[in-house]
Amino acid sequence: MGTGSTDIIRGTADMLILRLLAIEPMHGWGIGRHIEQRSKENLRIQPGALYASLHRLTREGWIRSAWRTTDNGQRARYYTLTAAGARRLAEETANWRRLSRGVALILAPE
Amino acid sequence: MWRLLSDLTFRLRAVFRRGDADRDLGDELAHHRAMEVAHLRAAGASADAAERAAARRMGGDGARQRETARGGWGVQVLDDLLADVRYALRQMRRHPGFTAIAVLTVGLGIGATVALSSVANAVILRALPYANEDHIHVFWRDYDWRGDEYDFLRERKGVFSDLAAFSTSDDAYIADPRATTGAQDLRFVVTTPSLFDVLGVRPALGPGFTADDDRPHAPPVIVISHGMWQDDLGGDPNVIGRRILLGGAPVTIVGVMPSGFYFPTPDYRAWRPLQLDPASPQYTNGYLVLVGRTPAGLPAARLNADAQRIARDLGMRFRYPVAWDKTKDAHVVPVHTYLLGSVRGPILLLLVAVALLLVIASANTAALVLARTSDRGQEMVVRTAMGAGGWRLVRQVGAESLVLSLAAACLGAGVAEWGFRLLVARLPLGAGVAGTLAPGLAVPGVAFALALAIACAIAIAPARGLLRRRFDSSLARERSEAGLRRGARRVHTAIVAVQVTFAIMLAAGAALLIRTVDRIRALDPGFDARGVATFGVVTRGDLPPEAGVQYLRDLVVRVAALPAVTAVGITNRLPVRDGGFQGVVTIEGRPDLDGAARPSALYRLASPGYFAAMGMHVVEGRGIDSTDLAGTTPVTVVNESFARAMWPGQSAIGKHVTTGWTGTRIAREVVGVAREARMTDMTGPVPFTMFVPAEQSPPRGGAVLVVRTTAPMAVVMPEVRNAAAALDPLVAVSNIESMETVVTRALAQPLRLRFFLGVFATLAIVLSAVGVYGTVRYAVARRRAEFGIQMALGASPGRVLAGVVRGALAPVVLGAGFGLAGTLLMSRALSGFLYGVAPSDLPSLVAATGSLLASAIVAATVPAVQASRTSPAAALRAE
Repeated sequence: MGTGSTDIIRGTADMLILRLLAIEPMHGWGIGRHIEQRSKENLRIQPGALYASLHRLTREGWIRSAWRTTDNGQRARYYTLTAAGARRLAEETANWRRLSRGVALILAPE
Repeated sequence: MWRLLSDLTFRLRAVFRRGDADRDLGDELAHHRAMEVAHLRAAGASADAAERAAARRMGGDGARQRETARGGWGVQVLDDLLADVRYALRQMRRHPGFTAIAVLTVGLGIGATVALSSVANAVILRALPYANEDHIHVFWRDYDWRGDEYDFLRERKGVFSDLAAFSTSDDAYIADPRATTGAQDLRFVVTTPSLFDVLGVRPALGPGFTADDDRPHAPPVIVISHGMWQDDLGGDPNVIGRRILLGGAPVTIVGVMPSGFYFPTPDYRAWRPLQLDPASPQYTNGYLVLVGRTPAGLPAARLNADAQRIARDLGMRFRYPVAWDKTKDAHVVPVHTYLLGSVRGPILLLLVAVALLLVIASANTAALVLARTSDRGQEMVVRTAMGAGGWRLVRQVGAESLVLSLAAACLGAGVAEWGFRLLVARLPLGAGVAGTLAPGLAVPGVAFALALAIACAIAIAPARGLLRRRFDSSLARERSEAGLRRGARRVHTAIVAVQVTFAIMLAAGAALLIRTVDRIRALDPGFDARGVATFGVVTRGDLPPEAGVQYLRDLVVRVAALPAVTAVGITNRLPVRDGGFQGVVTIEGRPDLDGAARPSALYRLASPGYFAAMGMHVVEGRGIDSTDLAGTTPVTVVNESFARAMWPGQSAIGKHVTTGWTGTRIAREVVGVAREARMTDMTGPVPFTMFVPAEQSPPRGGAVLVVRTTAPMAVVMPEVRNAAAALDPLVAVSNIESMETVVTRALAQPLRLRFFLGVFATLAIVLSAVGVYGTVRYAVARRRAEFGIQMALGASPGRVLAGVVRGALAPVVLGAGFGLAGTLLMSRALSGFLYGVAPSDLPSLVAATGSLLASAIVAATVPAVQASRTSPAAALRAE
């Protein structure tokens, strides 16, 4: 994992993916691109980890996928958030907020 | 529930539609890459640069991406196995110490288990060299059937398709009929020619018996064993038709049995036809064994019902005295049980012991693997961070266990092969049995099957640990590692406790058997086996019986004159070696014991020197004297139980006992009472016994010479043999053995069990000690920093040492408690193998527990000393 600080750890990646899919259905590359863009290039997800995450989320029943044709006529697999996924996202978001608030309080300058 | 179902269908689809899923993923990644390239080109990169950058961002080639993405599918076992095995081999090379200990422990465990169980299998469970041995059954009443009964039953076979009657005999024999010296004793079976049909075995060479061979006065023929053909006749291909000299008369060889065939035991080397002659007085003597074959395997109830039908037929044809009534207790026993004894008990005991031993050996390696896995917490965290799922890590541990176990199995198969030979050589086996044993092809197979099972067993604990813990975040990492170690400690404690439990059970079992054998040895057998040599003397059959008797007289005189010989005697059968037939007797003064109620007694010949030579004592009256001759009053010496039962509260001296064994009724006067001595076996009840002067009932064909000496056996044995040959070179002296050997053989079963359990128990104690050592060493290594701090704070080395040992012994004490409880629970199963010792025998249990605790303390002290020498600074640096 050479790029170090910009990589996302898996648990967090799941949450981010769910969050992006809550906006609209996307294909894998789109998700990766969105993560980079929206984090202002601070975060990046490796394709391998991305598709492993997508696979796991599908298995958990939080997202669904289907092959569709993109705007420019290519075949791509699009992922959609399920109702269970939406609930999961809410939980994870709440958890994360609590955690990051705690961490921020500790790290904050005195 | 629904989640579980959808998960399951997903996985199933992944397994069965692997191609589709793979293609999907490939398409998806290709699309991803195309998008990446398009994106980079839109940003102004050249086509070439965009391709390269995309490839780099994809993290190298597509295959690896696919590999990572596929990791969660859980369907790749085979694909990954090879990679895992390669990785495991690399790990093993990197940790040679760990590898050596693990492979050695499991290898020795497997080897010992396979060797011992295949010996047990070969000795106790082995198949007999007969066709469909479960179709062969031996009738009740051993060596008690008469010729007329056999002829009668031959017409009423019932469910049996074939019947045979046989008895055993021996005679002096010379392989070359022209030779005049070199007579040996030949033990052979005298049988109806149907025996080989019953056993379902034909001679490998020659025609064998014909139906005419059992006619009275048919020309003498013999069928010999493969061993006798090879050893004595040089494997002569033209042996059929050759003659040997048996009992001084030429006998023609008509068959050689196949290699490996024996009946009833390997020391019987030839078979002669039994000629049943209604004109002979022998015809109505009971001396035969009846054996029959059924056309198919039948249930015991069906066979015994037929035996009872046969008994009723017999009861209508013959009249039996009550004490001798053959129509009672009619049953048959399988030939396996008849020849090899009842085997289920010892087999089960040994199998339990083997299982316990193997559990202990695997527990050791499980502890080692577990220690290694938790030591590798760091590695596991890294691999998890790289996207490896829990199952992926478990597979890795599984592969390592498998590689370890297979290496151990190779070692184990070698150990087993070698151990088998060692054991066979060491065991007190019956005459000629050792040569018939082979380890068999099953050894490597069993070794590898065991290895597979062990691989699964030892991977369980680490696998559970890996699946429980998650290494998802670096925040959780420290905690996970610590947790894994804590979990490992608990499992370690459990493993040691289990090991000690089983080791205690084995050690206690062994101790109980050792005590049993000691008890039996400490029993007063009523004779003194020390310094007694015994010889089977087979006199010449070509001379009249009187010549044989005279020869025995001369031999006694000659041997008595040898230096260092203190007493010489003659008998017909040796105590605790030769069984014997009991005949009915009539007791004077006991009309209530007449007719059908007549008791039976064992009949033993004794020359005047016999009691002294055997170290037996006469407690009342006198022994057999040189004045008890053929012409003087017929006398007898009876044993104590005989005297007590027949004449309670009175002296037996002067009473009369009437016997009819030799056809004529003889009233014998009781002149002495001999102290109770073991006769047929070492532990069973002692039958009523009568000793009769050899001169008044001259032995026919030979006798057993008993010599008491102060010289070593190795000196006196050839001297007596030379003396016998000097008197007549055609007399065969055989079965030369010390009385102590005879007694040891009588103890074969408890000795054998004691030997096995002793080996098991020793291995169990050693393995448990290794287990304790490994566990403590691991714990000490993990806690070095802690010890360093303790010592920095002023704890003395002694205190650290004591603390470590105390901690290590907790699971040992726990296991010891369970082990003792287990032993007591098994006591009912054990009591059948014990004699004079209760299964709860305190000294045995104390010895077992003591030896285990002692070895555990030693095993714990070695690493503990290391701990107490920790330099505080070094410990802190390491952390």
